[in-house]
Amino acid sequence: MSLRRWSTAALFAVFAVFTSGCAVNRATATVDPGANLAAIKTIHVVHTAEDGRKINDLIAQRLTQMGYAASTGESKRVDVDANMTYVDRWMWDITMYMIELTVVLREPRTDFPLAQANSLHTSLTRLPPKDMVQEVTTNLFKDVKK
Amino acid sequence: MSMLRIRFAGLALIAAVFTLAGCAAPADKQAMTVAKTVVVTKKHPYAVGVAVRGGSETTSTSSSNIADADLKAAIEASIRETQVFREVVQGRNGQYELAVNVIQLSKPSFGFSFTVDMEAGWTVTRVSDNQIVFRKAIASTYTASASDAFVGATRLRLAVEGAAKANIAQGLAAIGGVDL
Repeated sequence: MSLRRWSTAALFAVFAVFTSGCAVNRATATVDPGANLAAIKTIHVVHTAEDGRKINDLIAQRLTQMGYAASTGESKRVDVDANMTYVDRWMWDITMYMIELTVVLREPRTDFPLAQANSLHTSLTRLPPKDMVQEVTTNLFKDVKK
Repeated sequence: MSMLRIRFAGLALIAAVFTLAGCAAPADKQAMTVAKTVVVTKKHPYAVGVAVRGGSETTSTSSSNIADADLKAAIEASIRETQVFREVVQGRNGQYELAVNVIQLSKPSFGFSFTVDMEAGWTVTRVSDNQIVFRKAIASTYTASASDAFVGATRLRLAVEGAAKANIAQGLAAIGGVDL
């Protein structure tokens, strides 16, 4: 085999290894054994300092849509049933897209994490931020009977 | 053979080596186990069962992660080392159950020094009446530098293991500081 063919094959292999990671989906949620999510009615979404895209507004809107009394702001509150923090991770592939969103529901006074949900969608199965928010919040409260 | 072809082949080879060298390895349970040196104020004369969730497996398409089973084994071994509980049992067959819920494992994608942040919720429940006797969010961090490992994937695994080990050390020290 000529050098050019070897080089092409090697590049193809590298490309295949890289692109095999382009269709990964993951959606998980865990709830602390002592947490009673059914008792939660009011949730305050704490804006993450690094988030310049106002994902907190999307989360608060989604929680309101789900029937919770939701608010959002820069700092935590103690007069609610739970605070919600989040981490949004973005990647570039032709355009910027949200690759991962993690939301954590926390006890207001101690900051203890009551429940967590995470969604990961790589480039080929990317979702708009609104849909990522919908997926994580749906998974977070999926076992709650209202 | 022209210089251009040689360079092209060289670049392809380097790219292949770096790609394959970047294959992620899961965090090792022994590397996450804390030693006897961790200060535990009280050694509780009870048997405890350990349950872990929120971890994730390391796959060919992900970076280094902590599997639930490996973290559970590391916590169990650390309890035996530090003797914060008298005995480790399986399931809810002890007087207490320790539940560790991994909330976040923040890992960088690039860099010379990799800093990993970990947060886990630690809950101890008395089995007889299901009463929660200890509950705390434990945050830990660990930085692995280029001097620790040259290959990025190895450096990241070391950082993940270091953050988990620090989390276990802090969690057990906190449990060892309360009355059960």
